Amino acid sequence: MAKNLIRKTFLEPLGKNNPVFVQILGICSTLAVTNKLQNTMVMTLGVMFTAAFSSWTISLLRNHIPSRIRMMVETMVIATFVIIVDVVLKAFYPEMWKQLGPYVGLIITNCIVMGRIEAFALQNKPMLSLIDGLSSGLGYAYVLLIIAFIRELLGTGSLWGYRILGTWWTNWSIMIMPPGGFFVLAIIIWVIRETIMKEAKHA
Amino acid sequence: MKAKETFYHERIYPLVFMFAITFFCILITSGLYLTTRNRAVANELSFTRKAILEAANVPYENTAEGIGQAYLENIKVEDGYYIATNSEGDRFIIPVQGPGLWGMITIMAGFEKDLETFSGVAIVSQNETPGLGARIEEPWFTAQFKGKKAPFTLVEEGTSLFDNEVDSITGASRTSEYFRNLANRASQDAKRIIGGGK
Repeated sequence: MAKNLIRKTFLEPLGKNNPVFVQILGICSTLAVTNKLQNTMVMTLGVMFTAAFSSWTISLLRNHIPSRIRMMVETMVIATFVIIVDVVLKAFYPEMWKQLGPYVGLIITNCIVMGRIEAFALQNKPMLSLIDGLSSGLGYAYVLLIIAFIRELLGTGSLWGYRILGTWWTNWSIMIMPPGGFFVLAIIIWVIRETIMKEAKHA
Repeated sequence: MKAKETFYHERIYPLVFMFAITFFCILITSGLYLTTRNRAVANELSFTRKAILEAANVPYENTAEGIGQAYLENIKVEDGYYIATNSEGDRFIIPVQGPGLWGMITIMAGFEKDLETFSGVAIVSQNETPGLGARIEEPWFTAQFKGKKAPFTLVEEGTSLFDNEVDSITGASRTSEYFRNLANRASQDAKRIIGGGK
């Protein structure tokens, strides 16, 4: 039974309860950081780390947090983990830190992190909350990586900064600009909902 | 008795709790900040040096050591500007700051010995719109100033022909204008600060 619960907690955010294409959360960063695979990778690792550990921390404290100030406490805990990510990036990966600019700090307001705390961590045990946070981050990560893959490939003809397509390829500049994010995200949501999720919708 | 308990639970406890949480969080973040501060400062310095090397068009290896070495070997610091010693004559690099669309843009502008021809431009810091104005950081944009002379005229992206023309960025006309003004001012500053002293 416990094993099933863990399994369910882990798998739901990856599929039928995915934060990006089902709950449509965290769209701001989905659009902003998906024009280069490398940046996307770092950003999603940051979100996974933050979501997992802030869920865990809040869940540990859940019986002690006065409910009227719980949002303040949540924000404080999330901000702490985000600052940890930011400071570590700044010290060890300065180029990456410069490129991501304000977006690392904006993880604080990523709806997925706070959403999972409110919806899950406040009612569940720490370990389970950790898994939920981590897999919500994972569910966010893989969708973003797919989008970044498409955008970087079509927009610059490269992947991870390395040229993949030959010189015959004309870059679709619009793909790496903000509209490209909207197009690819919308198409992905549409395709997934119409194909893989069709049964779930009718059920 | 009951009123007192409610007062404690409703007013005192949340206050104390929030205070304790804040205290812990600040303890952790400031501790981490202090332990990594030296690294962050070194990175910042390395970044500025890289911009100077880039503007002077001096080749360097893109590692912390490579940048430090190339900088110490080639760059001399003067009052308000830098000199890069070069086999074809000295190059002059000045830092220039000016308004962008959202915040200040700081660049390093490098000049050949005639103080007119750009040897390169590198951005130290900027806060333009990510994906639009922030594209001034892209290598092709800064590289196009190399070998050209101010004052510059902006033309459509991908159409510059003459050595007083630069491509603007499609979708970021305002940032392009601000950047052009900055480059023009850099040229004036170079003549005034470096040329004037001779």
